[in-house]
Amino acid sequence: MAEDSSQYHFTASMDSGKTLCSLLKAIQFQESAVFCALPEGLKLTVEEGKCVQASAYIPADNFTEYHVRDDVDVIFKISLAVLAECLNIFGSGEEASLKMYYKCEGSPLLLVLQPQSFRNVMTDCEIWSQTPDSMLELRSPEETDVAKLVVRAGALLAVLGDVERSADVLELRLQPEPPHFTIVTYGMQDRSCIEVPECSDTLQSFSCERELTLKYQLHHLRLCMKALAISNKVVLRCSSTGLLLLQLKLERDDNKHMFSEFYIVPLLDD
Amino acid sequence: MKFRAVMNNSSPIREFSTIVSTISKLSKECVLRIADDMLYFIVSDENTGPAPPVLWCEIPQSVFFSEYQLVGMDETHQDIYLGLNSGNLARSFVSLKNVKSLKMKLTKKQCPCLTLEIEVPSTTSHQTRQIVHDIPVAVVPWKNWPDFYEPRVPDPDISIELPSLKQLRTTIDRMRTMASEVMVRASAGGQLILQIRADMAKVSTRFKDLNVAHFDGPVDNSDPETDSQGNEDSSEIVQCRVDAKKLALFLNVDHISTNTTLCSIVHKRLVTLCLQTDDNVKLQCFISGIVY
Repeated sequence: MAEDSSQYHFTASMDSGKTLCSLLKAIQFQESAVFCALPEGLKLTVEEGKCVQASAYIPADNFTEYHVRDDVDVIFKISLAVLAECLNIFGSGEEASLKMYYKCEGSPLLLVLQPQSFRNVMTDCEIWSQTPDSMLELRSPEETDVAKLVVRAGALLAVLGDVERSADVLELRLQPEPPHFTIVTYGMQDRSCIEVPECSDTLQSFSCERELTLKYQLHHLRLCMKALAISNKVVLRCSSTGLLLLQLKLERDDNKHMFSEFYIVPLLDD
Repeated sequence: MKFRAVMNNSSPIREFSTIVSTISKLSKECVLRIADDMLYFIVSDENTGPAPPVLWCEIPQSVFFSEYQLVGMDETHQDIYLGLNSGNLARSFVSLKNVKSLKMKLTKKQCPCLTLEIEVPSTTSHQTRQIVHDIPVAVVPWKNWPDFYEPRVPDPDISIELPSLKQLRTTIDRMRTMASEVMVRASAGGQLILQIRADMAKVSTRFKDLNVAHFDGPVDNSDPETDSQGNEDSSEIVQCRVDAKKLALFLNVDHISTNTTLCSIVHKRLVTLCLQTDDNVKLQCFISGIVY
């Protein structure tokens, strides 16, 4: 690996791949992800049945070294399960430094991992890259937000955990008047309702132009529970078409941030 | 036929119990061979039936027992071989926390049994309580003894000291989720390399600066399967492909506090893990190579 990094389309290194690994596991509900290295950061995206699109975004400042050639697109499909397993090769108790190399289109993604506490061990991984599938454009650029909420991630996780498992539909009711934020679930035999008052510390900020009632598959929302568990803050945005966007922020000890994003398509009224 | 042995000290009892519980994790059934100077635990591969053992553990009796009496089958067959369920034996040791003494003997109850009499001090008085475990055993007729003789293995091409077993096991466990077979490579230069080829990836973990106890090179690596990495001479690399699950299973032995653990490889045929404790207990696992 002594070659000059400029002949690689993408190189990056970080002191510990642990946070990255847990972020990737949080969106690992599909076998493969689209790996996209942008000049400002690394993004991995997965889709579930054209209804949910989840991405992990790691801004470049999380890496000690980050380099993408500006004359090429670095985008390919990769096995997310294998990538997460490789990052965890020394076990979850071990912090291991990580280097990534990607030479050119069609070449494998190379990882070099070295644990911080044992210097005499090293792991090389070559993960094959594939041609990426086209991703859904769920939100058109001219679409605007009609409601925006900032919620503590732990609180939203608790709410989703409390919701009856057998329910399949989750309804979000947002209105400028109290009660501002209500979550209703419909199950086989029951209907449950959770009201979150604006003054609670769960809700850090709330803005909503008009009254909204939006329905989602509960299963789709539950996909972001793993990400909620490792994040600090979540921003919920509802667009005029009812598309729900959850933006989750994971704050690391060193004041660096990583993000995950979930786009969830609404259920239409029948 | 007669066997009676007593352990009086809590530290050998504890060590003996660790060994037994480790063996019970590796296999349901085992054979206990009682000889004049040694106890042996022998495990054969459960799938292939009576075949050369895959696990061979020898325990010098004098280190553990303060009394040891053995009368074999007859003049020419002085040992006793007992087939038993290793889980039963391991469970009998679970109740032991603070043991005063442990007596082990061969008894005839409804069926032949290995009887453990355990003496436990009472917390409230000076009296002791006694716990008795009868473990049914099958006495192996001497005709079948050769099935449990120490496996004759070819001389290894290399013997290399293993890194921390715990660390090794974590890595193997991760690799096991991606591939069923793992290539174990050791070089005369002191590197141990574990490598897998999965559908979507190739992963290799290398441990450096390990002691090489013995190297019998050069090795013939002329076939195309060997892709030598780095600048190491391929004739100095001994390799063998093994079942990842078996390797992971045998690495469970990390509970036994060991003095040395060695990995010996017969090129493309056999990987032997051998660990030796301070008390000269020796445990060897034989993992045969997979050849296409």
